[in-house]
Amino acid sequence: MAKKMKTVGMVLAASALTLSLAACGSNNDSGNNASPSGSAPAASEGGAAGGENVSITFQNIYPDPTTPTAKALKQLVQEYQDAHPNVKIELDTLNTDNQKQKLKTQAASKQIPDITMVNPAAQMKPFVDAGLFAPLNDVLDKNGLKDTYQAGLLDNYSFDGNVYALPDGNNIEVVFYNKELFEQAGISKIPTTFDEMLEDVKALKAKGITPIAIGEKDSWTGSFLFMNILLRTNGGPGFLSDVVSGKKTFEDPAFITAVDKFQDLVQAGAFPDGATSIDATAGSNLFKTGKAAMFILGTWETGAIDSSSVGSKVGAFQFPTVDGKGDLNEYMLAPGTAFAISANSKHIDVAKDFLNFYTLNLPKVQFELKNAVGQPQKVEGDLKAAGYSDLSIDVMNMFQGVKGGDLAFDNTMVPAVAQVHLNSLQNLFVQKVESSQVAKEHQAAYEANK
Amino acid sequence: MNVLKVPGRTIAVFILPALLLYVCIVFIPIIVSFYTGTLEWDGIGDSKFVGLDNFKRMFFDDPVFWPSVKRTLLYAVASMIEIPICLFMAILLNRYVRKANKFVSIYFTPVILSVVILGQLWKTIYNPESMGGMLNGVLVWFGLDSWTHNWLTEPKFAMYSIYIVSLWQYFGYHLLIQFTGVQNIPSEIYEAAQIDGAEGFKADRYITLPMIVPIFKISIVLAFIGSLQAFDLVMVMTAGGPAHATDVISTHMYNSSFLSMQYGYGSAIASFLVVLCLIFTVLINFGLNKLERKYS
Repeated sequence: MAKKMKTVGMVLAASALTLSLAACGSNNDSGNNASPSGSAPAASEGGAAGGENVSITFQNIYPDPTTPTAKALKQLVQEYQDAHPNVKIELDTLNTDNQKQKLKTQAASKQIPDITMVNPAAQMKPFVDAGLFAPLNDVLDKNGLKDTYQAGLLDNYSFDGNVYALPDGNNIEVVFYNKELFEQAGISKIPTTFDEMLEDVKALKAKGITPIAIGEKDSWTGSFLFMNILLRTNGGPGFLSDVVSGKKTFEDPAFITAVDKFQDLVQAGAFPDGATSIDATAGSNLFKTGKAAMFILGTWETGAIDSSSVGSKVGAFQFPTVDGKGDLNEYMLAPGTAFAISANSKHIDVAKDFLNFYTLNLPKVQFELKNAVGQPQKVEGDLKAAGYSDLSIDVMNMFQGVKGGDLAFDNTMVPAVAQVHLNSLQNLFVQKVESSQVAKEHQAAYEANK
Repeated sequence: MNVLKVPGRTIAVFILPALLLYVCIVFIPIIVSFYTGTLEWDGIGDSKFVGLDNFKRMFFDDPVFWPSVKRTLLYAVASMIEIPICLFMAILLNRYVRKANKFVSIYFTPVILSVVILGQLWKTIYNPESMGGMLNGVLVWFGLDSWTHNWLTEPKFAMYSIYIVSLWQYFGYHLLIQFTGVQNIPSEIYEAAQIDGAEGFKADRYITLPMIVPIFKISIVLAFIGSLQAFDLVMVMTAGGPAHATDVISTHMYNSSFLSMQYGYGSAIASFLVVLCLIFTVLINFGLNKLERKYS
């Protein structure tokens, strides 16, 4: 009996393996030869109206069907397919990490989907250098798409004068705060200097409230917060680019002070216990369930906070100045993940036509879906009249005042240096380190990977 | 060898599919990763041949590498120490417990659960008191406040906390293997021994132990190699953090290849891991074969 069971088990296991292999195979296929390739003469490709059946793969990172962005995607793809009955858009929907992984694997064999998504600047550079992406200048020129984007935003996706990807969002980093918890701790006004913020942290802590929510297992969250301080101590944006151009080193006082200030926050107990084992989602839930008073992250969280149980009690303010340095209207900028088109796509013209249609209509659809905050394009319409919350309107107003800022560390530095940075900062959550030591570690990593 | 008088050709036909599969998905990738280990490559663009630079860096310049090797080996040793305990439990279950199968099945439950679920489960157990962690809660309840720790985020404790989860998870697995081994020893032998006056632990010493050695060997090798390759549990619980405090060889390899995008360097680490596994498999087999010969 036992033996029989074992045999059955083996057969099951074997067939499961075979099936999963087959599944991999078909996935790859849909990515690679998205159409019956033999029947695709180059000439008819451009014509979406050409009548010949074409299918393109659209790899995206919107796995949660309840989010407005995913709804917008579905709606626009449907509209495009209705208008072009011969075009089939195959969605390859993955979560962010899996997508990054899959794309890298696909890139290693030079077989990327017709349309895929990448992060800006340093993170997309290897793909551009490898010649995997098609320049999108013509897509931008069509139907005046280029003018819909916020000024300067596309620079983050441009190399040698060509734009290689079109962002799905543009966010800034703000401090969300829970008004009710602030009141409980007797804080009457929002902090505008770092010292005030530190006092508030202590006041909250004394009341047993977690002052700042964070999910530092995903170490970029701590880095993104830290970069705010650096942006201030440096008296403005550009510290990292100064390091790259050799004008400054990580042992610059601006960096060392920033590390010190960051440690002050940690030592004051600003973050939840065991922060380094909390992942980003759980971290944001600390805030969204009213357990933490502040949450310092990108404005992409606005919609989710709005619809959370604390939504009506939440306001937002700008990251305070540090030692009187910095400008409140300078922010950590987070230009979003962006759509890129494979240079080797068999139906590149269809892909471009679709992307043009998609990005052109996205702002309108997002506005209707109450997701106007953090869009890369200018959004038209009266937010108040459309029923947007006060928080959304506040955040939108901050957008109007943006004077400039920096990109996240891992968008500016090569991945190897970024990893050292992320680990080095994560370490500060669990032990106090001499700030000059942190600076040295950064500088050594930078020089080793120059 | 060729007891059944089957022509070599027939044997070849039956072996070939498995062999091909093995060569294609195991052997060739290993060779390839030795090769990519000599490249400076981000995994996407062009690569540059740098000879043994990656290996040199790994052995001499990487502050994370040797500690992660140490943690991995400690992991492996801990999981090997678990096996005799499993064997002891198996013997006890077999002898003193009626319907021992039920117990074995219960002990086996953690094995069938997904590592991600286990990781999340234990994360909440290990959580700091302020986040409702059960372990710390229990300690406080007993008045042992000074014993409470952030088990997963204090560098001193984090790695051991993960070891414990892994040992807990695989306890049932090895218990099952050992239990089956013990059960398969024919009862006539024990009966004969009983007549000769050997009972209980004496019988274990002279009958069970010698006869269980082959099974014991399987468990040891599985435990050892499995923990050398430990990855998923660490990834779920701490992702190697805080600040590399729980990095093992395979997470270091993953982080180097895919996060730092130093694919060549990651391959070098992978090659090291392969060699390490091979060496230890040979050593363990050698040692246990000796043991086996001694007893039989």
